[in-house]
Amino acid sequence: MKRILKMHLIFIRQDLKKLMEYKVDFLLGAIGFLLTQAVQILCLGIIFSAIPALCYTLNGEVLDAWSFEEVLFIYGFSLIPKGIDHLLYDNLWGLGYWIVDKGDFDKYLTRPINSWIYILCEKFCVDAFGDLVVGVALIVYSLVSMSPETIAEINPLRIIPVVLVIPFAVMIFTSVKTGTAAISFWTKRSGHITHMCYMTNEFAKYPAKIYNTFVKTLITYILPFALTAYYPAIYLLRGESWWSIPVTVAVSLVLFGVSQLIWHRGLKAYESAGS
Amino acid sequence: MRLLRMYKPFTSAGLQEMVVYRVNFLFFLLGEIMKCFVMFFVWKAVFDSSDGTTIYGFTYENMVVYLFISFLSGYLTYSDGSYVIGKEILDGSIAMRMIKPVDFDMCFLFQELGGKILQVLILFVPITAGVEIYRFIITGEILFNIPLFLLFVLSMVLAYLINFFFNLSYGFLAFYLKNLWGTDIIKGVIIDFLSGATIPLAFMGGFGKVLGYLPFASLSYTPVMIYMGMYSAGEIAFYLSLQVLWLVVFIAVSKLILHLAMKRLVVHGG
Repeated sequence: MKRILKMHLIFIRQDLKKLMEYKVDFLLGAIGFLLTQAVQILCLGIIFSAIPALCYTLNGEVLDAWSFEEVLFIYGFSLIPKGIDHLLYDNLWGLGYWIVDKGDFDKYLTRPINSWIYILCEKFCVDAFGDLVVGVALIVYSLVSMSPETIAEINPLRIIPVVLVIPFAVMIFTSVKTGTAAISFWTKRSGHITHMCYMTNEFAKYPAKIYNTFVKTLITYILPFALTAYYPAIYLLRGESWWSIPVTVAVSLVLFGVSQLIWHRGLKAYESAGS
Repeated sequence: MRLLRMYKPFTSAGLQEMVVYRVNFLFFLLGEIMKCFVMFFVWKAVFDSSDGTTIYGFTYENMVVYLFISFLSGYLTYSDGSYVIGKEILDGSIAMRMIKPVDFDMCFLFQELGGKILQVLILFVPITAGVEIYRFIITGEILFNIPLFLLFVLSMVLAYLINFFFNLSYGFLAFYLKNLWGTDIIKGVIIDFLSGATIPLAFMGGFGKVLGYLPFASLSYTPVMIYMGMYSAGEIAFYLSLQVLWLVVFIAVSKLILHLAMKRLVVHGG
């Protein structure tokens, strides 16, 4: 474990050196991700200027409502686990898109270290700072502009389990990417399958109650991105759905196990594409 | 006619490439259309929360049609010429295109059109049929209008050509910028916003009206609004001629840049 951490730090240092070499590249990439989020938030602002709050209604009866600040908080929170995964484990995208396809995967098999860990450590993706900066800024901004009554309802003790659950939320992202990227061991390319599954996280940025049963089931149990954003965020704000915290831990562990199983099966089936 | 015969091989090459990657394309699409469904539910909640039945002149049914048709037109009018040209400039393989006795831009255009054929087949029918069925279920009447639909197709073709020549011009920025990937994301976000792909321009008040005259609106907003029947006959004529105007402008710009770039290209070699 210590050896892996040490190695990861060496890789990060290498990538930071590269970064200093190509400062403009880094800036443009990070600005791109920052702008993507900024424009979406601007649009949210425009939408919300037409309504007092986002309501969940059934048969014309308002069952739940979220203020603009609460929606911003959930949105900002969703970017944190996503951003951490993006920052540390971005290399899995490369696996599905070109590493296996070009026959470059052999390299990872010849090194005296677990190939999965090597892939994870190899790249430090600084573009993710765009996501993380927007996420933190939104959380801070939404908390500052919330009404005193909403703030008074937040129990500071709830911060502890929510912070502790973030690594598990990151693991959900990483496991989904691992499991789908490993399909490339059979098919040579699977980046598009990763993309399809990964995009489901878009649903997690908004309160899960507004979706129909199918989508709700999908994002809570199958590709459980709602557990990385809406549930922990709403638990922190209102103390609602406390069950989601242990469920997130359990689900992330199960997903981790499944993705490892696919990975190891894939390694056995792997035939090099290179010459 | 001679033109068509000359560039047919490029088209079939583009088509074959697309056929090879059709499964990847399908998965990619399923991922991208997810965003539409997210907004489908968000807009539903937004309209439920609003007191009136319309927001800035859009009903919920309008909004759903807008979402999916702008996704469709965004996809079909998409051109990745800027990325391809940029890459070819950086690795020097663009020289291979220069020495052939064909028009540089036409050769790109026909190659991309080949891929578009399959995209149209995969996307166009399911999405428009889905939207029309949805409209029929909601309103109980068939709102499909053939003349409007033909104008929509015409407007889409214009939008694609504008996009193509705009991207061609943009691709030559690769001479000055090395990070195509970063600038491509930035370009995409800005265009999506200014063209009304993320949110209808009508929601932005006076600012949106100004944007309506810029070339970006011609890329996506104009065809979608025509499809939805939001424009009067006069407005349709006006916006279509605006599209033609922007097309002419961008053809001229790309020819000019191509001319200037040819001189610079010598430095890069092959």
